Amino acid sequence: MKKTLCFSILLLLLSTLLAACNSGEEQSANADGKVEIDFFHRWPNEPRKSFYDEKVKEYMEQNPDVHINVDYVLNDAYKEKVRVLVSSDELPDIFTAWSDSFAENLVSSERIMPLNEVIQEDEEWSTKIIDSQFGGFTFDDTTYGVPFTVDGKAFFYNKAAFEENNIEIPKTYDELIAALDKLQSAGYEQPLVEGLTNTWAISHYLGTIFERVVDPAVLEKDYNEETAEFTDQGYIQGLEMFEELTGYMGDVSTAIDHEAARNMFAAGEVPVLYMQFAEIKMVEEAGDVEFGFFDFPEVEGAAGDPTALTGAPEGWMVSKNAPEETIDFLKFLTSEETAAEFTKTDGQLNAIEGAVTEENVNPTSLEAYELITNASSTAPWFDNAVNINVADVFMRGGQSLATGQATPEDILKEAQQEAANQK
Amino acid sequence: MTKTNENIKADLFTSDTQIKKARLAKMDKTTRRTNLQGKISKNIILLGLLLFAFVILYPLFWMVVSSMKSYDEIYNNVWGLPSVWHFENYATAWSMGISGYFFNSLFVTLVTIVLVVLIGSMAAFTLSRYKSRWIDVALIFTIGGIMMNPQVALIPLFEMLTWMNLINTHWALILTYVAYRLPLTIILIRAFFLSIPRELEESAIIDGCSEFGIYARIYLPLSIPIIVTTIVLTAYFAWNEFMFATVFIDSDVLKTIPSGLMNFRDALRTDWGVLLAGMVIAAIPMVILLVFLQRYLVRGLSEGSVKG
Amino acid sequence: MIARRNRMIPALFILPSLLFLGIFIYIPLVQNFYNSFFDFSVFSPTKEYVGFSAFEQLFADKVVMTAFINNIKYAIISVIFQVAFALVLATILEDKLFRRIAPMLRIIYFIPVMISISVIALLFNFIYNPQMGLLNSFLELVGLESLALPWLGNATTSIYAVIAMSQWQSIGFITMLFIVAIQKIPKELYEAANIDGAGKIRQFFNITVPQVKEALFVNMLITITGAMLVFNEPYILTNGGPGTSSMTLSVYMYQQGFFKDNMGYASAVATLIFVVTAIFALIQIKVSGTGKDE
Repeated sequence: MKKTLCFSILLLLLSTLLAACNSGEEQSANADGKVEIDFFHRWPNEPRKSFYDEKVKEYMEQNPDVHINVDYVLNDAYKEKVRVLVSSDELPDIFTAWSDSFAENLVSSERIMPLNEVIQEDEEWSTKIIDSQFGGFTFDDTTYGVPFTVDGKAFFYNKAAFEENNIEIPKTYDELIAALDKLQSAGYEQPLVEGLTNTWAISHYLGTIFERVVDPAVLEKDYNEETAEFTDQGYIQGLEMFEELTGYMGDVSTAIDHEAARNMFAAGEVPVLYMQFAEIKMVEEAGDVEFGFFDFPEVEGAAGDPTALTGAPEGWMVSKNAPEETIDFLKFLTSEETAAEFTKTDGQLNAIEGAVTEENVNPTSLEAYELITNASSTAPWFDNAVNINVADVFMRGGQSLATGQATPEDILKEAQQEAANQK
Repeated sequence: MTKTNENIKADLFTSDTQIKKARLAKMDKTTRRTNLQGKISKNIILLGLLLFAFVILYPLFWMVVSSMKSYDEIYNNVWGLPSVWHFENYATAWSMGISGYFFNSLFVTLVTIVLVVLIGSMAAFTLSRYKSRWIDVALIFTIGGIMMNPQVALIPLFEMLTWMNLINTHWALILTYVAYRLPLTIILIRAFFLSIPRELEESAIIDGCSEFGIYARIYLPLSIPIIVTTIVLTAYFAWNEFMFATVFIDSDVLKTIPSGLMNFRDALRTDWGVLLAGMVIAAIPMVILLVFLQRYLVRGLSEGSVKG
Repeated sequence: MIARRNRMIPALFILPSLLFLGIFIYIPLVQNFYNSFFDFSVFSPTKEYVGFSAFEQLFADKVVMTAFINNIKYAIISVIFQVAFALVLATILEDKLFRRIAPMLRIIYFIPVMISISVIALLFNFIYNPQMGLLNSFLELVGLESLALPWLGNATTSIYAVIAMSQWQSIGFITMLFIVAIQKIPKELYEAANIDGAGKIRQFFNITVPQVKEALFVNMLITITGAMLVFNEPYILTNGGPGTSSMTLSVYMYQQGFFKDNMGYASAVATLIFVVTAIFALIQIKVSGTGKDE
């Protein structure tokens, strides 16, 4: 009898353990009748993590009948996670998304809520959002996301270094190379720097270079998984340009990350850096160099778009199954007040009218803001625009180019194979 | 069998060997030719040993010292001591996420230990006390488990845990950790159980003890040393495991220390002092374990001969 | 009654562990073989049968070759340092000349083994850092700045930098295993050799090495198997880069599966890893005699 008892207890123990495993089921309303909203973003880093934690708390205080569960993972993990979630019914109610092809992939799951009605119903809110930024979230005239942050990539330069050496802002790629040569002979061992261990930084370079040298129609074809071929000779030219640029980056670039590169720029050790507008505030906080920026210059005689700005908005998407309160939370997140505070805290520019002013950003950022909002066309980030397998070939290929382990032809050939594999 | 028994007895630090060594040394004195050459080579080797110890210790020492520096000082004054000791880096690291990872690790480690010891010792009980063809098969099944490596199982486990709805929960780690720790645990405990004299249990049966009673009242209490070894080994494994922790857990709030540290680094940007403080916090429990429970740890590692 | 008890209880006692092993170790193994013949991704519920095409791709894949060669480099260097050097180190530590200092050194050498690989790898990121790294600063300090390199960013040095970190961390572990083995050698053997006037070096080759032969073999296999599986170190330090210069099979499997979402191909890589390590594991079972211990 005693032993039977012992075993019953043991089995009970084990079964409760296993049962506990399954207790993580999601509920849309919890025990005390509150509506639960699952909120998923990609900023475990400061200051945004605290910013959103604060905002969520504030919203819950204003709306006592709503409970918001926040979760966050970083960048690549986020990309992967959202892709997995969107194929299941576990999609969070509201989450952050990049525009263009990343958004399009998510939309094709048919689990994303179309927002046209919401936008039309509340014009007081929706007209505040800069109209041009909706483009990356609109497919077949249906809008699936609300843009929030805007960004772009440009060459930042140390004003003092340029003045001392009488360097004009380069208008063409050849002038850029000439400027880098001049800086090098003026004593800058590496006039340009990049953290090449971050493969996304390579993809940002390559994305823009391809915009400049490859015919936009060809790009459109190659960025589509179904029709991608990557046979245009412009890619070779582009890779060669990147190889040439890495020649100015010095040995150190292959072993550091973008952040270390930014710190070198901020400390005045390196006069030129290709970076995002969102980083302006970080440079200002890390050092006291005076800097300006210029767009990636035009490549003479090349077939690409000479002025397209690389950089795409990021915004919020809502799941089709989300409780209706989610829309209210979405409006809260994209309100002028939240946006202004966000930009003040973080430095990244936003797409809400009236929320980027002299009061919350510095003059350089304001200048960047003008550029972004007036840009004729924007090109999405390369690693979001093409299939990840193809992007990986280019990104690792970029590292190999910098370390002299591969030629542009090798990389393009591999990319062609990979593109063919994806069909 | 004798091999394992000896192992258990031949503790690294027993006085027994010490005495023997002392006796040898004495004997040696009389026979040793006290030439200069011997002394020099001894000192050269000693210098080498100390140099190696320095190579091991210095980076760790640097980690501890630099964890109390500011970013500027780490960057610009690599070797020096901090001009201001930023003890608050530890508080910052703790409140910026390390505390969460720490308690996650603690929870996962403790539950893993309890399950491994319970399930493992029960299986070892059967495997040591009964003989049949089925028991032999079970034994081979168990031993074979040692040879299987987690890398090969990674993708199927990911699929399976997703299907069970356990991905991104602590159970994904606990269940897999238990599975991969069981074979070694069972073998270690079984070897110990085999050395327990049969007379003890015979008298227990006469006293009316049930099978379970024999396990719980005789075998377990007698096996405390080997169970401590198991606990130490399991703690070592569960606290440091990286691959499963990275792949099976996405959510920052659920991450354990090894994978959480990666997030922590990304989140901190260049707040290196705080990052280093977080690293020190992550390392401390295991170093303490080494200092206090080294004999159990060393015994287990050497008998299992399987790297964590 | 007794007969029934003898059947039921042992079965119930062993059942949970058999379940654990079956579900989480053996089924995934079989499943992995099965997966190798399919093309699928995490977020597509269907698997497409592709036969041996993943394996064909595997043998044509240059990165697999690079990774495999890196694993072999890992194995060779680890055998030299973690087995040969550790045996010498263990012998010295067990020598009566150093018996005062040996216990402390043993612990010191063992400390890195206890520390999580992510802490160690982050620490070595600081050591290899091209700007403020300890290694380059040290070289500068002793006037060898010409040797300073961006260790992890240089395609020829990156894999060696990763391997070097592993040696730093693991020598203490194998040394400890050898110490245990050496302590089991009957002291009389050395006493007899002393009387014969055999020197330390002769004693090492004539007594220590033959006496720890089994441990030597087992340790070698542990080291080789570990080197063929290595994931954490290259994943954290370089993620296989720059390019694919420090790729290992496990890192490649992870990237194919979880980064590029080619789960089928990743399974084929895992199968390759399994075959390579299984060969060593079988040798290990044979030699160490685990299991036939009665």
